[in-house]
Amino acid sequence: MSLPIYFPLGFSALLFGIGLWGALTRTNAVRILMFLEVMLNAVCLNLITFNRYFWSQTPEAASEATIASLFIMTVAAAEAAVGLAIILSLVRNRGTVEADKATMLKG
Amino acid sequence: MSLGILTSGESIAFFLLAAVALVSTYKMVTSRLITHAALFMALTFTSVAGVFLLLEAEFVAAIQILIYTGAITTMILFAIMMSGLSDIKAERKRGQLWVKSDPAIMVFGGVFAAFMCYIYYTAQLPAAAAAETLPTVKAIGTALFTKYVIPFEVASILLLIAMVGAIILTAKEAESE
Repeated sequence: MSLPIYFPLGFSALLFGIGLWGALTRTNAVRILMFLEVMLNAVCLNLITFNRYFWSQTPEAASEATIASLFIMTVAAAEAAVGLAIILSLVRNRGTVEADKATMLKG
Repeated sequence: MSLGILTSGESIAFFLLAAVALVSTYKMVTSRLITHAALFMALTFTSVAGVFLLLEAEFVAAIQILIYTGAITTMILFAIMMSGLSDIKAERKRGQLWVKSDPAIMVFGGVFAAFMCYIYYTAQLPAAAAAETLPTVKAIGTALFTKYVIPFEVASILLLIAMVGAIILTAKEAESE
């Protein structure tokens, strides 16, 4: 590997940072969901990088991060499905997709 | 860091992919139309799949294209189209793009990324593995159905519950109308 490990690690940190920034600043619920996916993806990239550089002696060890990413993607898909269903329900009930207008629990 | 590392083909490909991913993620934050944000998200995921290919994780790259670019982006686009709200009206206007407590939040993501980069740069990382092997699909499948069979089954139950929950959440409104 001629690529230094700092490049993919720094890239995933930047990707996570931009995703965090977007998820905290934008109020559209669908967009917040998209930034959550981007942040999960950055975490996957981090796992794959560390596994590739430090834990790839045998094929079994080298596939550990792949399996972890597989589970992360499963959870991300389930989260996107349920989250979009909740957002659609919110749109039908309240006519808005703005997360800061969903204040039904505020009393 | 010598210049040779920066100008190798691998690094140039990595920088191109990383630049595309970061710029399109930035455009996801700043674009006004949410459909544009969804398409930029697909571009981000495709670029990250390219980085996975550079890290020699071909299986994850393929799964990334299939699930993220193929499934999740399509699902989000369908949800946007079917929600019945006009995108332009739902979005804030250009001047009101950001929420009010903006500067602190804007700095927050940048500080986090800089902090992590600093940690990575100063960490005493061990030497890279000498005998490198690549994750084979055979090893992945074997581990998934022997060592990780319980998490695998739990993940399948989770997907089933998520599917049923999504159907219940969206179908309940339809029958009451």
